Amino acid sequence: MSIAVVLLALAVGCYAVAVLEGWAVHGRLSLTRPATSALALMGREQILPRTPDRLFFESGPVLLLIAGLLSVAVIPLAPGLIITDLAIGALFLNAALAYVLVALIMAGWGPNGAYGMIGGWRFLGQFVAYAMLIVMPITAVAMRAESLSTTQIVLSQAALWNVVYQPIGFVLFVIAAMGVAWLPPIDLPTGGGDLAGGVEAEYTGARLAVLRLARLVIIVALASATVTFYLGGWLGPWLPGWAWTALKTLAVAAGMLALGPRLPRLREAKYLAVSWKLGITLALANIFLVGVIALVVPI
Amino acid sequence: MSELTQYAILLGLTLGTVGLVLSIYALARAIGKSRAEPAKDVPATAGTLARDPVWVRYHAKYYGYALLFLAFDMEMAFMYPWAVVYREEGLVALLDMGVFLAILFLGLLYGWSQGALRRQ
Repeated sequence: MSIAVVLLALAVGCYAVAVLEGWAVHGRLSLTRPATSALALMGREQILPRTPDRLFFESGPVLLLIAGLLSVAVIPLAPGLIITDLAIGALFLNAALAYVLVALIMAGWGPNGAYGMIGGWRFLGQFVAYAMLIVMPITAVAMRAESLSTTQIVLSQAALWNVVYQPIGFVLFVIAAMGVAWLPPIDLPTGGGDLAGGVEAEYTGARLAVLRLARLVIIVALASATVTFYLGGWLGPWLPGWAWTALKTLAVAAGMLALGPRLPRLREAKYLAVSWKLGITLALANIFLVGVIALVVPI
Repeated sequence: MSELTQYAILLGLTLGTVGLVLSIYALARAIGKSRAEPAKDVPATAGTLARDPVWVRYHAKYYGYALLFLAFDMEMAFMYPWAVVYREEGLVALLDMGVFLAILFLGLLYGWSQGALRRQ
């Protein structure tokens, strides 16, 4: 029962994020646009490139969708409303998100086209930049909660949300999350106006629809992970828990989507340099600070 | 819910996703088929076939970062169990991991000074 509810909420969330993305990119808030573009994609021709690596080409989008869904599976919508409340939830989220890289490289390699290939390899560089900034802030969150279970992590924020307790970690995690979901300005694998669509260049019709759907699922997964780790999950007054999670998730997603078009695209070399020189230093400082606070203050 | 049930659910979710994608493809197929026409299957390279093959070796210009990444990624494997028992162990845990992280951070600084942290 709870699985069906969470999956339904995920579908609604994906649609809402698609509406928000249309708003952020085109400046028009249209409630029907995602549905019409999905229908248009379904009706479009499905072209297979000339000499593809068929296995990689076909499984890239599917693997991306699986990675997104598995990471959503450990995010609580409300107490009890979670697909699997794993004891190692936060670690499982990391493991699932690692497959985003694998899927995108497969999608880039598969069609045997230059733009897709460059997009895929660029994402490998992007991965090296964001990966540590996903795992290190989560460590600090787990230190406070004394658990890797996402439900426990939310409960540990009852007195004070982690966004106040560890603001450095929050900022690093959000920036890294934008890297995972290749949102602008860190959209190196697709790079609109630069790579002719990058990894999306050779995908048409229903395959492109699956690829785009997978990306929406990943955006929802990362926004809800941010809410779970830093913004107190379902905690909040007046409204029921699931409404708080949904509202906060949509707010985070809207923030991430709205930020992108206002900034110039980050080059891979620049992103790597900033992540490793500034980001890792700050992430280690964050772990140390949280460590000291967690020993001194009992909350 | 037992651990085994939870992982069974995750496996079911994976298989269900594959089923969803297959049904999307079947729906698209039911709407219509693509017509086979010459030159339609050329990859997106301005309508002509690329001169050079695509599946060749590329220079990973970020390899300096990639090597450091391996060291840091290994470290994270130790960090997660440490983070869970951190408050129980108290100051000892802070010192233990502090020394470990300090050594690793010195490694990062050394790599930085030797020019590993730039596009080669």
